[in-house]
Amino acid sequence: MSVVDAASGPPPDVAEDSVVRPKRTVERILAGNAWIVFAFLYLPILLLVVLSFNDNRTVGVWTEPSLRWYQAMFTDRNVLGALRNSLVVAFISTVVSTVLGTAAALSLERFRYRGQRAYDGLLYLPVIIPDVTMAVMMLLFFVQAFDLLGAVLGVNASFGIGTISLSHIAFNISFVAVVVRARLAGLDPSLEEAAADLYASRWQAFRRVTLPLIAPGVAGGALLALTLSLDEVVITSFVAGPGSTTLPVYVFGLVRRGVTPLINAVSVLMLTGSMLLVLTSLLITRRRDEP
Amino acid sequence: MTEMLREPRVRTALAPDPVAESGTKLPAVAMQGVTKRFGGGRGGDPVVAVDDLHLDIRDGEFFSLLGPSGCGKTTSLRMIAGFEYPSAGSVRIFDQEVGLEPPNRRPVNTVFQSYALFPHMTVVQNIAFGLEMQKVPDDEIATRVGEVLELVQLSGQARRKPSQLSGGQQQRVALARALVNHPKVLLLDEPLGALDLKLRQAMQLELKRIQEQVGITFVYVTHDQEEALTMSDRIGVMNLGQLLQVGPPEAIYDTPRTRFVADFIGDTNLLSAEVVDADTARLTDGTVVRVATGRPVGATVTLAIRPEKLGLWHADAERDLRLDAVTGRIRRMTFLGNAIVYEIVTETSGTPVELTVRQGNTPGIEHFEPDERVRVRWWPTSTAALED
Ligand SMILES: Nc1ncnc2c1ncn2[C@@H]1O[C@H](COP(=O)(O)OP(=O)(O)O)[C@@H](O)[C@H]1O
Ligand SMILES: [Mg+2]
Repeated sequence: MSVVDAASGPPPDVAEDSVVRPKRTVERILAGNAWIVFAFLYLPILLLVVLSFNDNRTVGVWTEPSLRWYQAMFTDRNVLGALRNSLVVAFISTVVSTVLGTAAALSLERFRYRGQRAYDGLLYLPVIIPDVTMAVMMLLFFVQAFDLLGAVLGVNASFGIGTISLSHIAFNISFVAVVVRARLAGLDPSLEEAAADLYASRWQAFRRVTLPLIAPGVAGGALLALTLSLDEVVITSFVAGPGSTTLPVYVFGLVRRGVTPLINAVSVLMLTGSMLLVLTSLLITRRRDEP
Repeated sequence: MTEMLREPRVRTALAPDPVAESGTKLPAVAMQGVTKRFGGGRGGDPVVAVDDLHLDIRDGEFFSLLGPSGCGKTTSLRMIAGFEYPSAGSVRIFDQEVGLEPPNRRPVNTVFQSYALFPHMTVVQNIAFGLEMQKVPDDEIATRVGEVLELVQLSGQARRKPSQLSGGQQQRVALARALVNHPKVLLLDEPLGALDLKLRQAMQLELKRIQEQVGITFVYVTHDQEEALTMSDRIGVMNLGQLLQVGPPEAIYDTPRTRFVADFIGDTNLLSAEVVDADTARLTDGTVVRVATGRPVGATVTLAIRPEKLGLWHADAERDLRLDAVTGRIRRMTFLGNAIVYEIVTETSGTPVELTVRQGNTPGIEHFEPDERVRVRWWPTSTAALED
């Protein structure tokens, strides 16, 4: 904001002397660059939002504002089904991966055991593996697992919400563990010793001391898991069964059949959801920094 | 002048001290052959943090573990608390073996160096934590927390969070949180380390007052010899994982048994000597002094004499046969305000002996100038023969 004033000459209000005023050419260029970056990032979003309110069937031709596509979206059974799937998968994978990821972080940070280094490295692998590789891996795994289940137990398992949730859990655990571990690392280990010294059992020490203190990290990890799960496309499209598609995968499919204003409305819905999540996590982070 | 050199109370390392006579009471803490090794996996040699420690801490005493950083004090304390398990040996609390019990099953509480107050709980919640874990009824918790808040003079801060308290106040909360449980033994790991000097001195007296008031055995870890001397009933001096000497402050100060103890606690003159007979030894400059070394004739021993136990006189001062003496020249004089420190080199034949003499700056005391010839005299009981 201060950059704006500076680029267009000194502001009339000189009272705010904490404001940085670039003087030299390099700084002017940098200030201009900030504008370009902002435009680059936000013009498409603006365009998307505006066009989602366009009455015309053809995406690029503006006629008049209307809520027509939002209405269509909330009555479209495919969209609603995909949305419901997305929410179910996100909920399951967030809860499970938050519990397991937190447990993994605790065991890595607090206990020393043989093979810990290897476990440490392996746990973070999903963070760096390309999505497509992960997707192929999961697909192969499920195919083999289903064969085995069928052969041994006679169970007829198939792709669907279950396989999607399992895949999301698989990559989310790593992200939760990374976030929670960062928080744990900043925790004075003598706090847990103090709890034990004051007659708390392991579980009581965790419940009453450790968990409240790492809660912001756990919440941050959970939000990250939720966000990642909600807009995951590649892995989901590999392991989704018929009729069990999630919202982003459904949108992806729609686009291949031609862009319609309905997609714009769905995209705005997902954008709003993501922004709410980011906002929540910002609020949590801010509270963490307070004494 | 002779006033300055009152005959000191005689106490040798072997003399029984009065507390020991207090009967056959069980020791509060008994450590036998306790050894702690760290590491030693593929990483290399293990570190022996505590080496074959034998120690009885008496019921109701203020006991300090004193030693330089890294000597194993904290590790010893943590083995009493249950945060570390001994590699060998036994730890008993009032005759109950606890060596392998977890911390929550030991009747001891700890005041941590970092205080380790729970930052998300108020002062009252912090203090009540231990009682809640022990399922003490609510009304009793309220009473006991109130009492202990009064004891540490924090009643006004009950609803605050630790981050809203000063260092000294946090320290008191940590103390209250431990004391409220009425532990059989209270363990304190350098609890005053983070406070500034003035506050630290005030808290030393305060801690001593509280200890006398509650009558609980305190085991206090510190690297500050002055702190240990001021507060303790008895001190255990450690170095390199070993317990070198245990005794009341006077015994540790006046009759150190080893070079390390003599040197670590206070300033001292270390003099090399040769044993003449059972009651005398000869300094390198030829002077014969009275000291019972318990060593064979001809053996080399190190003698320790505190600078303030030496008296300074004019070189032609009359002889006093009750005192040992050397003659020398003042090499340097340092004025400290409350005292004057002289460095003296003897002038007799043989290798000169260097001595530091500390005279209190009291009225009527005679001042000497560098290069002046002087006589240094001391009571034979001020001389301690070291074992190493
Ligand atoms: N957890 C540990 N792992 C490895 N070495 C340790 C550990 N704790 C202490 N030590 C080592 O043991 C020795 C004694 O440490 P400590 O008891 O903390 O000494 P002090 O409290 O007297 O300063 C030191 O050499 C220290 O490095
Ligand atoms: Mg220590």
